Amino acid sequence: MKAISVQVEKAVKTYGGVVALAEGNLTVQSGEVMALLGANGSGKSTLSKILTGVIAPNGGQVLIDGKATSFGSPQEARKAGISAVYQELSLIPDLTVAENIWLSHEPIRGGFIKWQEMRANTQQLLDLFKGLYGTNLQPDALISTLTPDERQLVEILKALSFDPRLIILDEATASLDSRQVNRLFELVQTWKSHGMAIVFVSHRMEEIFRIADKATVLRNGRTVGERVIAESNERELVDLMIEGATILQRERLPVVDEQKPVRLAVENLRTNVLRGVSLQLRDGELLGLGGLQGQGQSDLLMALFGAIRCEGQIVLSGQARTFHHPRAAMKADVALVPGDRGSEGLLLIRSILENLMLASWSRYRTPIAFSKARADGGQIAQELKMVMSSLDAPVNSLSGGNAQKVVIGKWLLRSPKLLLLNDPTKGIDVGAKAEFYNLLDRLRDAGTAILFYSSDDDELLGLCNRVLVLHDGEISAELREDKLTRENLVAASMGASA
Amino acid sequence: MNNRAVQLLNRNPYLLSLLLLIIMVVINRALQDNLFEIGPLNGNLRVFTPAILVAVGQTFVVIAGGVDLSVGAILSMTNAILATQIPQDATGDVFVRALALAIGAGLLAGALNGFGVTVLRLQPIVTTYATSFIFAGVALRILPEPGGRLPRELTSFWRNPLAVSPDFALPMSLIVIGLLILFWVVLTNIRYRQNLFATGSNAEAAYSTGIRVNWVKFSTYLFSAFFATLAALALTLGTGTGNPRAGDQMTLPSVVAVVLGGTRLAGGQGNAVGSIIGALILGLIGNIISFANLDSWVRPLVDALIIIAALAIPGIFGVMRRLTR
Repeated sequence: MKAISVQVEKAVKTYGGVVALAEGNLTVQSGEVMALLGANGSGKSTLSKILTGVIAPNGGQVLIDGKATSFGSPQEARKAGISAVYQELSLIPDLTVAENIWLSHEPIRGGFIKWQEMRANTQQLLDLFKGLYGTNLQPDALISTLTPDERQLVEILKALSFDPRLIILDEATASLDSRQVNRLFELVQTWKSHGMAIVFVSHRMEEIFRIADKATVLRNGRTVGERVIAESNERELVDLMIEGATILQRERLPVVDEQKPVRLAVENLRTNVLRGVSLQLRDGELLGLGGLQGQGQSDLLMALFGAIRCEGQIVLSGQARTFHHPRAAMKADVALVPGDRGSEGLLLIRSILENLMLASWSRYRTPIAFSKARADGGQIAQELKMVMSSLDAPVNSLSGGNAQKVVIGKWLLRSPKLLLLNDPTKGIDVGAKAEFYNLLDRLRDAGTAILFYSSDDDELLGLCNRVLVLHDGEISAELREDKLTRENLVAASMGASA
Repeated sequence: MNNRAVQLLNRNPYLLSLLLLIIMVVINRALQDNLFEIGPLNGNLRVFTPAILVAVGQTFVVIAGGVDLSVGAILSMTNAILATQIPQDATGDVFVRALALAIGAGLLAGALNGFGVTVLRLQPIVTTYATSFIFAGVALRILPEPGGRLPRELTSFWRNPLAVSPDFALPMSLIVIGLLILFWVVLTNIRYRQNLFATGSNAEAAYSTGIRVNWVKFSTYLFSAFFATLAALALTLGTGTGNPRAGDQMTLPSVVAVVLGGTRLAGGQGNAVGSIIGALILGLIGNIISFANLDSWVRPLVDALIIIAALAIPGIFGVMRRLTR
């Protein structure tokens, strides 16, 4: 294999006004496993996508073997010998395993695809993981019939089929079981000895220490350091990931009244993502959910709201409950404020009043008592300090922060006993956030039980008495009082011991 | 139904349409004794050929996740070109030049659709609906009223069956259908097929795998326009004259034929051979209705029922899959 050295220097990527990557630096060469580390939104994915030509940087340069290169497409990166295993899988559900692996570089003779050879080559690749997957995984199986771990294996083999000199494993182990991970790591060692360069992105600290030679750490879109793994430790890397981040001034939080009734008790809750989660939440408590994105936080909230199937026990207000539909959860005074306002929470072109009332019309009887509804809507709008021209203006005329208030207002009108918040402050401005925090305080004081997932660690640190950190579908740590620090939060979200 | 049968149908959804076709043929045969004699066979298939060609072209667009609502108008336009450019005393040279002109105009129309969808990023349904008025307008500009007369030698070449031996003749349209199937078989064995299906199934994943998704989408509109032009040729040769509104009733049936043939309207799955079967089914329904002496209002009703049934098939499959699991 021809040796390769890759250098990314001062790469910049902005989307509109949002900076995804401010200064990305990365150096990796043949025979080396480079780990890429960083908290949520630190720019890991952006940086690896620049390397694979999926994203074109706004600034900086990529040097391959010392020569400045700019990839216009994934194809060009592939020609330079770089291929990637993506976090969001790049497989085509309607094509077979063999067709997916060889897509865009099928073996051909005279223009015709050599199906036999393609199948045989696929089988050869599959044999790398021999004995570690189900009988369903065959060269001719459709991708849509495979389990998540089998898809992940196909994705890895697809990247490998291009005979890359540099392979990027972006959370490639996320849905694999431990035996499959072990096998992958054996393979990584072999590739390494053959002179391949490997970039390894993972949220599992343990894996990084097992497989990586060096680590590049990103923070807020900047590369803040490179360490040799053998000379470093978990603590140092975690510190690098969070160092210098502003520590939010924590006010003294009201102590949870242990006399208050337990509103929600969850025992061993399982979904496709969750692997047994248990928790307790009292009235008047604001319980935080933390961790890196996609570790099961949304699943937990959706399962409690009856929006996805789950197993396990849910005791709400002293009664064992299983909700098969959000409607049943709503009847039991549960409310969910979704993270994605646009697609899950609002009818964008309808009026503010209609949106506020969407979940509550039944309370206004038939024929609907519109004037009463309008009065209630006006009151909640005032309480939430909504900035709007009138209740009849369409929701898409509002700013992000105000639109989010409509979503929240919609549920407050039902005066929920249990409020589930799925990253509610994503993409709203600072002022609106502050008002939202005040609102949470008021709700808590009024005795509402609140389960609050946020991708912003500062919010969890500043607002919650207690934070559960999720990692790979399990609670990896419960942090409270003195233990509730940024260091512990980040360490727990990487699966490291706090 | 057992699991294997469901799986077989899942992989080859056109098998169901084949069954429907056989049923239609049986009914038609019961109403029309001489259906399989060379005269009626030749006549029927010749009349169905334009719809078959349009449906095959439409298949490409639908597999890639789009839809082309301008195929009927492109057919009208190129029909008008052929009818006006081929006078009664036309020589071979003139015919070839007229054909080249029609194909050129058709491809230009397809390129305009492709431009709207891939460069301007407009919705396929909106783009092609809008451009269909342009092409229909051009058709009327070229040929304001039905007219034109093609040389007799040319039309009879197409109309008469090809005598293979003294007592065996083959309808020309059957040869066309054979060539279409051959064309599809070749296509399913080259890379283009993989790129086409990948684009329709998950365009984003296809892009990150290095497929030029926009080119693939663009090319499907060229295919549909090209086949609409061939359909115009078949129609012009069949009728011997031109009609600027010839394609008015061709567009939606082509989509129905594609769906009947087992191609998924959302893209990513499909088969042009199925579309040929679908177009044949639609043609036979028309025959059956006229032979059964049913009132003309029955035809839209039957069409509607068939369309609903065809659209419901994927859903029925889904239900069966859940039940058999």
